[in-house]
Parts: sequence; C-alpha cells; structure tokens
Amino acid sequence: MPQKLHCKVVDLIPHGEHVYSLSLKPDSLAPRFFAGQFLHLALDPYQPGDFWPESRPFSIASSPGDRSLLTITYAVKGRFTTRMEAGLRLGGEVWIKMPYGEFAINTDDDSCLLAGGTGVTAFTAFLDGLTAEYQRSVHVFYGARRPKLLIYRPMIEAAAKRCANLKTCFLVEEGEIPNGMHGRINVDIVWQSLPAPLSIAYYLSGPPVMLKTLSEALIDRGVSLDQIAIDAWE
Amino acid sequence: MRREEQLRADILGLVKEYYQERFADRSFKAGTDLVHYAGRVFDSDELVKLVDASLDFFLTASRYSDQFEAEFAEFFGLSSAFIVNSGSSADLIAITALTSPKLGERRLRPGDEVVTVAAGFPTTIAPIVQNQLVPVFVDVNLGDYTAIPARLEEAIGPKTRAIAMAHTMGVPFDLDTVMRLARTYGLWTVEDNCDALGARYHGHLTGTFGDISAVSFYPAHQITMGEGGAVLTGNELLGRIARSLRDWGRDCYCAGGENNTCGKRFSQQFGTLPYGYDHKYVYSHIGYNLKVTDMQAAVGVAQFHKLEYFVARRKENFQKIYAFLKPYEDRLILPKATPNSDPSWFGFVITVRKDAGFSRNDLTRFLEANHIETRNLFSGNLLRQPAYADIQHRVVGDLTNTDIITERTFFIGVYPGIDKSQIEYAGSVFKRFMNGERII
Repeated sequence: MPQKLHCKVVDLIPHGEHVYSLSLKPDSLAPRFFAGQFLHLALDPYQPGDFWPESRPFSIASSPGDRSLLTITYAVKGRFTTRMEAGLRLGGEVWIKMPYGEFAINTDDDSCLLAGGTGVTAFTAFLDGLTAEYQRSVHVFYGARRPKLLIYRPMIEAAAKRCANLKTCFLVEEGEIPNGMHGRINVDIVWQSLPAPLSIAYYLSGPPVMLKTLSEALIDRGVSLDQIAIDAWE
Repeated sequence: MRREEQLRADILGLVKEYYQERFADRSFKAGTDLVHYAGRVFDSDELVKLVDASLDFFLTASRYSDQFEAEFAEFFGLSSAFIVNSGSSADLIAITALTSPKLGERRLRPGDEVVTVAAGFPTTIAPIVQNQLVPVFVDVNLGDYTAIPARLEEAIGPKTRAIAMAHTMGVPFDLDTVMRLARTYGLWTVEDNCDALGARYHGHLTGTFGDISAVSFYPAHQITMGEGGAVLTGNELLGRIARSLRDWGRDCYCAGGENNTCGKRFSQQFGTLPYGYDHKYVYSHIGYNLKVTDMQAAVGVAQFHKLEYFVARRKENFQKIYAFLKPYEDRLILPKATPNSDPSWFGFVITVRKDAGFSRNDLTRFLEANHIETRNLFSGNLLRQPAYADIQHRVVGDLTNTDIITERTFFIGVYPGIDKSQIEYAGSVFKRFMNGERII
C-alpha cells in the first residue's frame, strides 16, 4: 500500500562525480514492497491532509527485508537532483511516498539484467536477495563511467559467490578494472555471454540513451518486445 | 502554536465535550429500550477524528485514508488494502478483478463457474451474476452455516474456475478444504470476510488465505465507517487491478490530487491512443467510482484501533447468550464454530428445530414485541428471492439446510453495545417464551 512517510537522512555517501547514496530512516516502518519498486522523494515540507509537494521517483536500492531503512542512489542530472545535492545533509528531513512500480524480475524465467550507472538500483534489492537455491540463470551487465562509480559491484560479487546461477560482467567507459571490460554495454557482449540469448527475459535500467540503443539492438537481433522490460521515467 | 492550530485544538476539545453531553450516557432501560441486533459503538475519538478530517476539507481520500489502508494492510500482513464505499463494493471488485484482461489466460470469462453457497447476503453472489459467471450452489451446515466441505469437491466441474464464499456470520468456512481444492484444481479463491473481521483459522486471520478478500464497515459489522469496505490482497497484480476498478477503471495509480506518480505520465503507448496520451486518462478496465471520503476513513481509523476489544466483547456476549440458551437446545439449534476456527461472531444465530412446537416467527414476534431486535439470516435461500429466481446457476446435491435456514433461522445481536443488563433482560424474555408465554 503506498504510504507517505517522514524520514531522516541517516547516511549520505558522496561517491564522487555528483553521485550520492542516501539512507533514509522513516518515522514508522515502511510499507511492504518488492525488489524493483520505487519511491517518490519530496524535499519540500508536507503536511498530511494537504497536497503532495513536487517529488521525483528513485528505485529503492535496499532490501525489502529491512523496512526500517531505505536506500537510494542518485546522480545529479536535473533541477530536482541539483536541489537534492545542494540541500540534503546528514540528519536532514524529507518526505517519501512508496511503494510504486511493477519492475519485478520474473523468477520463473532466465533473466539478463542490463544496468547503466545508478540504474543498477532497480536490480540491487533483487540481487541482494539471491540465495544459493535460486534456480534460474541471471546474467548481470553493469556499466558505469569510471571504476569508482560501480558502486554496487561488491554487493553483486558477493551475491555471485552465494548464487552459482548469477553471472556478472562489469564495464567502465574510462579507466580499467580488474576482471572487467572497457566500454559501454552493447548487444555483442551480451550475445557472446549468453548461451541462449533469444530465450531469455531482458531487464533494462539506466540512462535514456542506453535504454533506447540497447532495446533497439535487442529487437534487431530477434528478441521480441514482450521479452524486454524497461525501467524508465520521464 | 499558530492561531490555526489553536483553533483546531479548541474545536476538537469542544467536540470531546459534546460527545460527553450527547452520547456518553447510555444506560439501558429494560422493556423500553431496544436490544439492538447491531449498532455503532464509539467514543469521543471517532467524533474528534471525523471533525479533524472535516477541518482539513480535503474531502476525498487523504491522510486518514492513507493511515487506515496502511494500518489495515499491516494488520493482515498483506501488500494491498484498498478502502471502498461498502462491503458489497468490495465483493464486486474482488470478483470483477478476476475477469481482468491483465490476468491473461487465468482471467474468468462469461460462463465460467464459481462455487458458492445460497444462504447468505445477496451481494456475495450478485457480482458473480453481474460478471456473467455461473454460481454453483452447495448446501451448508446448520449450526456453523458454512458450506458442507464434502459438497465442495463434488461441485467442481470442467468449467469451475473459482470458489467465492462468505465466512457467514463471522464463522470461518473450511479453509483447509477450500485451499486444497484451489491448489488441486487451479481455482481462484475469494473470501467474503465482510461478517468476519478479526476471525482466525489455524491462528491466521481470515481474509489472508484466498487470492483476494472483501471486508465491510457498515455499522452492523465489527468496525464501521458508516458506509465503507475494503479489498485485500497479497497479489500485486490483483491489487493494481482492484485499485483500477475502484478508481473509474483508470490505468494510472496516482492518488487524488497527485500527478505523474509512475514517472511516465506522457511517455507511454496504449492501444491506438496517440503516443504519450496523458496516463491519468487511460482506462484499462471498465470500472467504477467506489471511493470513500476522508471523513469516513477518519472514523475507520478510530474504530480499527478498537477492533481487538470489539471482537473480544462479541465473544464474551456470545458466550453469555449461549449459556442462557443452552437449556433450550432441545428446541433450538445453537451456533458453533467450524473446526480449527476462532470466529469473530457477527451475531448469535438460532435455528428453531422442526419439532420445537413453535415457529421461528412465533419466537421472533415475541422477541420483537419485547424490544429485542431480530434479523433473518439475510436472504435465506437466495434462489427463492424474486431477483435471483431466474439466474443461470447449478445446484450440487440439494439445498435442504439452506431451505431450513430460510424458514427457521434468525439471529440476535452480540455486538459490543450490548451489555450485561441487556443480556440478562434478553435471557428473561427467552425464558418467558420457552415457558409458554406468547403474543396474543
């Protein structure tokens, strides 16, 4: 059930290059949500019973198992996130409303997750919850501009150690990374890595250009539209 | 404190005083006052919250609706709880949701069969008929008034796609059997939990077993909003469909007064609509407007905080009534719980035995003449009601007990507004009748 919650900023991590992670502690337990859902964050005060102020959606990066602490990661890209960068401090207060969205990984299918930059947060709760018993194959392609922006690589690698069915590929556009690749995620790399690329469900989350390029390329290769799920906001 | 806040505090303080003046004295005068079968039970908190919501003047669903839905979903441990304007609307949404095209091959289609019972409230069955589905009726037990478990499996045929029944009068039906059949035959299950808020089966709340369930907040029920109900589900997709049906059938899930919650308001393709057609006006279902006002929800919040107390009082009253009627079991069939259940009693249901020496109406006329309200078990055999006489349906076995209910069953109240003095008075009236006194 969507709820509006007053939260305190209890952790604020600057990853550099205007990318931040925020940990938010709601005054009361957040409602149940599932991996892949998102929240709306408002910076202006909200008075319950009044109109909801301007807000922006952010994927909930943290696990649904812990409803007392919610994590988001954002990159400064527009007016609202510029306000966030300028205004949010440790101990600061925000309002959120959540949960929303249906961007859930179908656990009955083999899946390929294509994540660009902070778009990975659409997948982190799912990946964090993977166990050794997970039966379907999951391939994750996670790309960022520079190595330090592969923020969730350690968590994903830990998940891959637990879950033999999780295969990972990390990419950076600039610089080098151990056990990773140089460049952007592209369909050639995906095709080389997947044993049966035409019979798998694709999930895309990242910058608009990446979503457009990759979805068109997948369709050109014969992937049907209903095999592709895209997490995109305006 | 700002003047606005001070004024609100003053008003709410006066409302508390008003409650004391207007409603606090409720002493019962035997033989003069009615022993109601049901009614609103409230204190100043309901009145204060109602006025508080009215001072917001948001009117449509807002903070109290949010609070109620959040607390209600949490109580049941389910992901979705949507307030609607009645329990009947909740039933309508629960059944109609199963016909949604969004369910693909699993959707119910016209002609599909739904197993149910005929002894109950009509709006458990009405949505089945309204959706051009075919109800398949099985008989019920006397005493617990729920479906005879053995009949349920007999009712399942090639067209059967769902089981939809009420926990009649607060007594959980045999959920072990129903859920086993649902798993075996791939059936949807709908729990009409309108009579039974707070009832448990194997320790778990009713309304949490099936795919989707309905609750009523009409004043006769365990808690009230005046008019109101709720749809509950742990299935995310059904939750989305239910909300759409409640909110005009729209695809958008923004709350009233909010925009672009999905973040894709102007960037989606729906059918042949122009690309980017405003999501607020895209309709994925042929829906209704079944929402409530925030004033109703405010009363609901205050009532919900009393639910456990209310259910406990109903159980106490049930036991006291049971004790004074126990000596008359040779003439009356007294109510009982189903195995593994802990009912949240809606009323005290009595069936007059065939050889009692008096009829139901002899007894209910006597009770009513002595200011004790009675009610029949709703419609009795629904197939004997004028509106339902010609509906397409199937009956498995016979409806012998359902007909007995139609002719010989009624109930009296157990609601928390009934106190010790009222129960003692009711006991004395029953005793006079059983000793042969009659209305001339």
